[in-house]
Amino acid sequence: MAGAGTLREALRALLPPTKEELTLQLGETVERSVVRLLREAVELFCGGRGDECLQASEAILDYSWEKLNTGPWRDVHRDWRRVYAFGCLLKAVCLCEETGDAGAVAAALRVCDMGLLMGAAILGDILTKVAAVLQAHLPSGKRPAPGPAQEQPHEKKARHDHVRIPDVRSERTVPRLRCPSLQHFRKHFLVPGRPVILEGVADQWPCMKKWSLEYIQDVAGCRTVPVEVGSRYTDEEWSQTLMTVNEFISKYIRDEPRDVGYLAQHQLFDQIPELKRDISIPDYCCLGDGDEEEITINAWFGPQGTVSPLHQDPQQNFLAQVTGRKYIRLYSPQESEALYPHDTHLLHNTSQVDVENPDLEKFPKFAEAPFLSCILCPGEILFIPVKYWHYVRALDLSFSVSFWWS
Amino acid sequence: MAEERRGSWFGFGFCGFGQALGSGRGRQVHSPEPLQTPGEDADVCRVSASWSYTAFVTRGGRLELSGSAGCAAGGCRDAWASEALLVVLRAGPGRGAGTELQAWAPGSALSGEPLWAHTVGPEAEGEDAPGGEPQAGALPLLPGARAYVSPRPPFYSPLAPELRARRLELGAEHALLLDEAGQVFSWGQGRHGQLGHGTLEAELEPRPLEALQGVPMAEVAAGGWHSVCVSETGDIYIWGWNESGQLALPSRSLAEVGKTAAGEASGPKEDGSDVRTAEGESGGLAPFIAIQPFPALLDLPPGTDAVKASCGSRHTAVVTRTGELYTWGWGKYGQLGHEDTSSLDRPRRVEYFVDKRLQDMYTSKQHGGHRPNPRW
Repeated sequence: MAGAGTLREALRALLPPTKEELTLQLGETVERSVVRLLREAVELFCGGRGDECLQASEAILDYSWEKLNTGPWRDVHRDWRRVYAFGCLLKAVCLCEETGDAGAVAAALRVCDMGLLMGAAILGDILTKVAAVLQAHLPSGKRPAPGPAQEQPHEKKARHDHVRIPDVRSERTVPRLRCPSLQHFRKHFLVPGRPVILEGVADQWPCMKKWSLEYIQDVAGCRTVPVEVGSRYTDEEWSQTLMTVNEFISKYIRDEPRDVGYLAQHQLFDQIPELKRDISIPDYCCLGDGDEEEITINAWFGPQGTVSPLHQDPQQNFLAQVTGRKYIRLYSPQESEALYPHDTHLLHNTSQVDVENPDLEKFPKFAEAPFLSCILCPGEILFIPVKYWHYVRALDLSFSVSFWWS
Repeated sequence: MAEERRGSWFGFGFCGFGQALGSGRGRQVHSPEPLQTPGEDADVCRVSASWSYTAFVTRGGRLELSGSAGCAAGGCRDAWASEALLVVLRAGPGRGAGTELQAWAPGSALSGEPLWAHTVGPEAEGEDAPGGEPQAGALPLLPGARAYVSPRPPFYSPLAPELRARRLELGAEHALLLDEAGQVFSWGQGRHGQLGHGTLEAELEPRPLEALQGVPMAEVAAGGWHSVCVSETGDIYIWGWNESGQLALPSRSLAEVGKTAAGEASGPKEDGSDVRTAEGESGGLAPFIAIQPFPALLDLPPGTDAVKASCGSRHTAVVTRTGELYTWGWGKYGQLGHEDTSSLDRPRRVEYFVDKRLQDMYTSKQHGGHRPNPRW
């Protein structure tokens, strides 16, 4: 395995060559004392004083972390996220400057991932490149050594309570179309805000053939991602935590999970560009007003049984199914009153009703609210119009990719 | 001869900018060290510590800054330090000219013009302490309690006159107010439970804490995302974010490092720290608490009465009636004063002060500044 020397070289090659270029242009929001500390950290780094640079980076990270946690996330100034990312960059590089041992590299990779998750792009998206180099230098490949006879996860289904497959024949189903033209889609579905399942659009994407648990572990196993733990995000015991993809798969997919874990609503493809090559952006997105860069692509990866409670989103959504099936129910925004949204600001876009087990005494109007439903299968894309209420339950181990666009 | 000895100041925690903690060496001070206060016998009556600099105000009205900002100035009654802004209360020229509130950029060395200034009229000055000494230590609440200052716009915020504020404290995204009757109010962001009204919703205006009505409070303190108050009978109530154990409740992040009290044996330990059983009724371990959205009564060792509480961004400190200091919460920079960098989710006595008696204290982000008053 390549030693510390080649890792060091590879990392140095990514960094700007001069002190002046290893600097962030920051506005007034970032206080002078922080700018001073950043400059000091760079001096220490360039001066080869790794331990002291590490200390300064920790202080930068701790201070900017507090800013990231102050006020609503959307109001956090981008400069603070850039400062945080910069702290992660220095820390990650310093961690593996001395030793290139697996522990240091894994720790450095985790730091990069934190910078990617919470920070903002700096120095030409350097953290993504540093992460890729670190990943390549992890010994014994990127995933843990295979155990005796890797079981296919679906074999474990026998041990679960059998999954309730809804009888969608008794429900009004979402219409299906095979490769409609842009104009047809716009006229009949986008403009009037009607859901539709598109066939023949995503079924040839490389992910459809390539994405297995082994492949995901190979490409992303050691990367840190956010995981939601708990049956649904409206529950009291629901929480979010961070772990590597390998840990997520072992704990919540393979080894008879005690709780439901869901790698949900995560921009995995920004974090790991290699995976982005396995998907495409549906052409129909060009019918929107925004640029391609403004499209948010999220990964949704979890075991059978994950549930997203009935809610609405402020953008158009193409939900592409890659692995496994999902039961999805859709209610028009016109039915909002019958869906009893929470009155708190935090959950105003979420219904109080448990769709497959509604309390009709508490929520009587829900029983009469009309809806569409479907079982979305691999290769299919569901168009969920903006603000259309949707409820999703995974019937199998499932991987979906959503595209939020305007 | 009963001459009261002036006390000395001690400090511990983060000092990456050489802001006069201990000997000034090193970025962190893990155990209390005498503070390098300006002047030989300068009698410091107010310390306001920000992240990168500290402001000292003496009884003689002298202001000194040390750390990332350094300067000295006269005519100051009170100072309040934050990274973005240094707020100073300065005596106006001549008697009856009132006091002027000034806001300066910390690096300006108080030269030139302040960023803004506001005259606090003489009628708003309120009662001075017996002996004519100015009431120091009320900032960010202004004299007269009609308004308060904040480091972010709007810098000057009026308070409804019926509030009769005695004390006001600011967190990273919330505010706490204690009124003359001992009632606590809170407002601002609530996503971390720091408002104490039982929800995660924000409040635009000061709202009284119903859970505490009927229990007159003597002190309030605000951390970054948590709130503490001390009752007149010495009980501590605490609420908000517990991510580093700053509420003295079991914290998941500490458990992952093996440091939570959950699972430890019960009973007080010799060092006076309180060990919680954390066992539920069925004998199982108590759950971790990330957010406590309404006040919880905190257990200190039996017989201990709190008289003052103070919070850093993610830690809490309490002084007892007998002059002991207890700290808990985030400890990474030694700000708990226990000679290490562990975080704690239960109160622990700071051993350094066991043979001294603490009189007062101030804390700041990653900082703890404490003043004992030795008596013998």
